[in-house]
Amino acid sequence: MILHVSVMQPMVSTPTCSVSHTPPFVFHHVFSKVYKDRHFSCEDCDGTVSGGFDAATSQIVLCQNNIHQQAHMNRVVTHELIHAFDHCRAHVDWFNNFRHLACSEIRAANLSGDCSFTNEVSRFNFGLKAHHQQCVRDRAVRSILAVRKVSQEEAQKIVDEVFDSCFKDHAPFGRIPHGNKDAKFAYREYMNRDRYYANL
Amino acid sequence: MEQLAERAWRPHQACEDYLSEFRHCRSFRNHFHHYYTYGTAPSCQQWKEDYHNCRKWESHKLAEAKDALQKSERRRLEEQKNFTPVWKLRQAPPGDWHRPLD
Repeated sequence: MILHVSVMQPMVSTPTCSVSHTPPFVFHHVFSKVYKDRHFSCEDCDGTVSGGFDAATSQIVLCQNNIHQQAHMNRVVTHELIHAFDHCRAHVDWFNNFRHLACSEIRAANLSGDCSFTNEVSRFNFGLKAHHQQCVRDRAVRSILAVRKVSQEEAQKIVDEVFDSCFKDHAPFGRIPHGNKDAKFAYREYMNRDRYYANL
Repeated sequence: MEQLAERAWRPHQACEDYLSEFRHCRSFRNHFHHYYTYGTAPSCQQWKEDYHNCRKWESHKLAEAKDALQKSERRRLEEQKNFTPVWKLRQAPPGDWHRPLD
């Protein structure tokens, strides 16, 4: 069984919310399609939040008033799709289990391009050696604080507890996609998967 | 009959794909990303060995080449799963994934 969530079609753009063509986003295990009009919602949001995943409705929310550039939109869509993927493939207890929440936030920050060198520099976070991991930790803590009433120390502690496990979980890519070539090779590996398991 | 089946085995990807992975691994861009992520240089030698083993199998059907390639791929797969999951995986997607919204 293959979970195939694919956001394939170029999105219709409205005056306030425009989503570009996103390459096929592939989930393992069970076929389950993502439909633009059912699983995405463009809304006005408070503060500086860019988007979110609502597990209760299986819907990705995109904050049309806080996303102004296509690259940002691409990144937010990828980030939220990773949450949707985790929701689809695992029993994630979003509301009661902070470890689950932290794990998905670590994965989303790690795999969506949130913590790319360029993005960090644009935030004036200048770091090089293994800085990606520090960024992932920090952004995971921020994301938890944005949605749950916990202290900074508590959020940090939970992230530290699950970081080693969740940072290594690169599903569905099989690697951290730092750029288009990584994404292309990850997709190629996905397309070869049947041949792969048959020939091991 | 068994020998025929043995010789019919194909690597899981074209040999050129192993070569392109090796070249990509060795690129400056990948070195930069790897250092930025892990603080170390990437190790690319395995891709090159896999490429050579792939070519040896395709050209001469050497059993050692096939074994080495399979071993390498299994190791790569194990490395990808080298962590204790925080959650339990589902057998099917959530029942309400396509439930109509009110």
